Amino acid sequence: MIAQLDSTVARPEITWDGLLPILTLGVGALLLVLFRSLMKQLPKAAADQAVPVIGGVTVIAMWVVGGFAGTDVPLAGLRDGLGDPVFFLGLLIMVGLGGWFAQYLRLSVDAALTVMIGLTSLAATWGVWTDRYEIDGAFGLVGDQLGADGFSLVITGVIASAIVLVALLLDDYLEREGMAGADMYVLMLFSGAGGAVMASANDLIVLFLALETLSIAVYVMAAMHMRRSESQEAGLKYFVLGAFSSAFLLYGIALTYGAVGSTNLIVIADFLEQNRLVEDGLLMAGMAMLLVGLGFKVAAAPFHAWTPDVYQGAPTPVVAFMASAVKAAGFAALVRVFVTTFADHADDWQPAVYALAILTLVVGSFMAIVQRDAKRMLAYSSISHAGFILVGVQAASNEGVSSVLFYAVAYTFLVIGSFGVLSIVSGEGDRGTSLDHLDGLSTRRPALALALTVFLLAQAGVPLTSGFVAKFAVIGAAVEARSYWLAIAAMVTAVVSAFLYLRIILSMYLGQAEDDAPTIRVPRAAGLAIIVALVITVGFGLVPGELDDITRDAIPVLIAAG
Amino acid sequence: MSSLLAASSADVPFPILSALVVTPFLGALLMLVLPNGRPEYFKQVAFLVSGAVAGMTAWVMVEFDKHTADEFQFVDSAEWIAGLGISWTLGLDGISLWLVVLTAALFPLTILAIEAEHTPKAYYAWLLLLEAGVMGVFLALDLFAFFVFFEIVLVPMYFLIGQWGHGARAYAATKFFVYTMFGSAFMLVGILATAFLTAAETGNAVSFDLVYLAEEQALATTTARWIFLSFAVAFAVKVPLFPVHTWLPDAHTNAPTAGSVILAGVMLKLGTYGLLRFGIYLFPEASVYFAPALVALGTIGIIYGAIAATMQKDLKRLVAYSSVAHLGFIVIGTFALNTEGLSGGLLQMVNHGISTGALFLLVGWIYDRRHTRLIAELGGLQKPAPVFAAVFMVVMLSSVGLPGLNGFVGEFLALLGAFAAHRWWAIVAATGVVIAALYLLWAYQRVFHGPAEGDNAEMKDLTWSEGAIMVPFLAAIFVMGLYPAPVLERMEPAVDALIEHIEGNVEDFDEADADQGEDLDVDDLKDLGKKKDSKATDESALVEGGAG
Amino acid sequence: MILAELALTSPYYLVLSALLFATGATGLLIRRNPLVMFMCVELMLNGVNISFVAFGADLNDVGGQISVFFVLVVAAVEVVVGLALVVAINRRRSDATADDVSLLRG
Repeated sequence: MIAQLDSTVARPEITWDGLLPILTLGVGALLLVLFRSLMKQLPKAAADQAVPVIGGVTVIAMWVVGGFAGTDVPLAGLRDGLGDPVFFLGLLIMVGLGGWFAQYLRLSVDAALTVMIGLTSLAATWGVWTDRYEIDGAFGLVGDQLGADGFSLVITGVIASAIVLVALLLDDYLEREGMAGADMYVLMLFSGAGGAVMASANDLIVLFLALETLSIAVYVMAAMHMRRSESQEAGLKYFVLGAFSSAFLLYGIALTYGAVGSTNLIVIADFLEQNRLVEDGLLMAGMAMLLVGLGFKVAAAPFHAWTPDVYQGAPTPVVAFMASAVKAAGFAALVRVFVTTFADHADDWQPAVYALAILTLVVGSFMAIVQRDAKRMLAYSSISHAGFILVGVQAASNEGVSSVLFYAVAYTFLVIGSFGVLSIVSGEGDRGTSLDHLDGLSTRRPALALALTVFLLAQAGVPLTSGFVAKFAVIGAAVEARSYWLAIAAMVTAVVSAFLYLRIILSMYLGQAEDDAPTIRVPRAAGLAIIVALVITVGFGLVPGELDDITRDAIPVLIAAG
Repeated sequence: MSSLLAASSADVPFPILSALVVTPFLGALLMLVLPNGRPEYFKQVAFLVSGAVAGMTAWVMVEFDKHTADEFQFVDSAEWIAGLGISWTLGLDGISLWLVVLTAALFPLTILAIEAEHTPKAYYAWLLLLEAGVMGVFLALDLFAFFVFFEIVLVPMYFLIGQWGHGARAYAATKFFVYTMFGSAFMLVGILATAFLTAAETGNAVSFDLVYLAEEQALATTTARWIFLSFAVAFAVKVPLFPVHTWLPDAHTNAPTAGSVILAGVMLKLGTYGLLRFGIYLFPEASVYFAPALVALGTIGIIYGAIAATMQKDLKRLVAYSSVAHLGFIVIGTFALNTEGLSGGLLQMVNHGISTGALFLLVGWIYDRRHTRLIAELGGLQKPAPVFAAVFMVVMLSSVGLPGLNGFVGEFLALLGAFAAHRWWAIVAATGVVIAALYLLWAYQRVFHGPAEGDNAEMKDLTWSEGAIMVPFLAAIFVMGLYPAPVLERMEPAVDALIEHIEGNVEDFDEADADQGEDLDVDDLKDLGKKKDSKATDESALVEGGAG
Repeated sequence: MILAELALTSPYYLVLSALLFATGATGLLIRRNPLVMFMCVELMLNGVNISFVAFGADLNDVGGQISVFFVLVVAAVEVVVGLALVVAINRRRSDATADDVSLLRG
């Protein structure tokens, strides 16, 4: 059980093609840094051509990397594909379309590259899912340190999609705020790579490192707006509390290590399954510390204090990224550590998560009502959504895990859409985020108002949106686990939150815009991001079967390579 | 969505019930893409879409087999979320038939009768979405689908009140939304508990199929009672029953006329229909257990609504409170749990939709002409507008329950049933009829009699087009008052089947039978319903098979 | 089911580690100078490091010691980012304390 000191350390077995979704993000970020540090300014002639070329390359990269990630004999597959004239023609047309589309969106080179990397990672995730996971089941990636299962793949997909959509939002935002450059995109890609590793980590130390990669990049992103003091404040607050929570997480890892004798989740799960500790004080303390640390990351009350300040201060597209990808990764870690690894101690941690969930729901929904700032409101609402996801975690069942995944996927698109609209409306310097600035949006920009209305109603859990199905799944898991009061508490706080969303909607539809209100310009790229989020939100609301099947297939398992 | 629509009844070549739900939904989407340049098209398109729905409903009404009215007909079933055992299952029996007909008739009339005050595009889109939702509630045979429709109707109504309403519209709309959603919160947990616990008890896969769950009756008595309560809270808010009714007067007063008509005409029935279909059918034992409490609440609602209506100064608010009283009759009839009471309650749902819908329409027209609804500012309207006054009189008398008009039959049957089951409550409730006559006639007298002064003397009479819209209402009022048999004979088999379902599942339940069927010519149909038993089980097997 | 008991010989190290961690946590919550707050974070992380080393020695497992190196790297990275943030804020307003950082409140 306890590893002996051994001078000959075996090289870990690595499944390279399964690693492609993560590698694409990480290596993509590195290449972007390299590219930008070698070439600060593109030559004028190249700059005009670059974006459509990147658009075309995106299509090819998606196809090639997706193919490599999926099939066992990729080169043969590629040769066959290219040999088929119909397929070849189709690919050419897609390349042309990709190029034209990138040009049409008027993306900057950095944004286009980021979108390319995100989409490629998404294609790779899809390839791994359909051609490997669906056929052979879960498999190890790097020794017993990283594993690919349905759960990690879905979370990786969520993170990659978030990167694509947020890059589309960022493109115009950075231009508007005079912050154009590659730094934000690079940080986001690093952060996303960290999140993807976090979702696949089978070792607590790897998990910690991935979490730090994820977090540190986001601290900087939050503080990136140099001309806004709020942004730097947000960065500092996020940083201090984030470091604080990391220390708790780390202490939890140390205590668990002391209690069980390993930081490897596979070993821990085996050990706890086969042994019963006489003195389980260390393990309990370790679990408590881990819960506190991860609770900070997912903004569960009472560890939520940073959320409203940070969300209000940070650049709006960054907030969209924090609320979607970062939160999803945090919950991925929470599920893998608690539901999967500590499954045999579910009786010990379930009550704690129960209490956290109730507190989070109540704080999130009630505190949201008294806010005047839309971003702050959505920050509190994101806390209450975290409470909902905790309800799914608390069930400690397969049903619960798949509901958590469903919620994470649905919420990612909802929240990116919501903050995307806010980012457009708030205007230069993110000034116009108070409710008054939304007054009369329905007459100024009816389409934007309608989009935000759909996102808010979905967050309230109104049927025919993905938000409703997500709530339904979570409450279903809680009911199946016989946590009736938790389910009822969650639904009642959802009604309280609905009151808040209605307030925002009312000010959009009934409020009168001031006459000197600035005209709102909707950039094409951001508009596309909002449309995508809208289609997914309504689509998964009308036909949730597919996503439901996927989340049911995606139960986390702990597995080593080889 | 069309790929979800599968098999249908033999006589209708396409899944007509799904079409009833999907057509207005698509109509609402169509409305969104219509160009803004020609605002007059919006109303026409909305009318055409809702007219098409009405046409299809007429077809359903003709094809409806009254001999098997106790079975679900025209059943459509398709998988929706396979992993959770959720299906898109729609069906129609004698209980839902008339509510569907009422819905299909009321929407085109409302669209025709009232012009949108502003932004017609959104206004008609919301109305059509509302129609889709209401249709869905009355047709859904899957708990998930039912909940989806039950909740989705909130959104269009919220916007109709909030954007096109008057006065404290933001307050009223929010109150309406939050109250109803609060009730549904409990129901959602109840629905999930029903499905998961039934699966746990029987060992079968999770299913949200209504017929399956109702026939299985796998839940322990206490559990079923708790779950019934969670459903009852949602429906009580929607009905609304006495302590949770306060959203209704606010919503009605501030809603635009169309909103009030639809709210009173069909949306309040969602609650009473839910109590019938998802309360009594799903939890027979629990509904017998809680029947006295619900009858008591209904009676309190009758008296309270009547007294409150008497004291109102605003004509629309008066009608709103009279709705609270009328819905009380429906509830006491339903929870008498006998043939008379149930069919009376059911009939009263339809009647209330007709007469109160028409009443709100007339009040809306008065407001359009006079820009006030305060009774004190109106007076002597009979002189300048005699036809208007006559129509108002007929509609109002139907609402009072004058024999020969539709209101009488339903109210009488409901009281008769309640009298057999809960004698003293019924006697108290009967005084509500008297008070209703008092406040309505008194209001009529103050508004229409006396000298017409100032603007009141200038009041325009009913126009031809308005008169044409009132014709279907008046026709329904007289036909259903004088010859209700065609309606009743399609209801009774379903009602009897429901009572047998209670008898089959509740030990020592004996129907408090008033034994007063003869004068309504429905006694023979009762026997007919009993003979169809074997067929009824066949049908439920079919529904299960389709949903599984 | 085996009843496992891990005999730990180093309670003093663990107590020291816990004390350091608690000191750091308390300091971070009550001190207002960002620099001191960073030091407190370091204190917390190093408290944890002592635990790792002590456990590693007890378990005769090299993993504990290795973890410390990772933690040290992370701590260094955190300080780099944290100091950069403080510098950025100080460039706008000199002698910043955490109380001055107060534009954001509900």
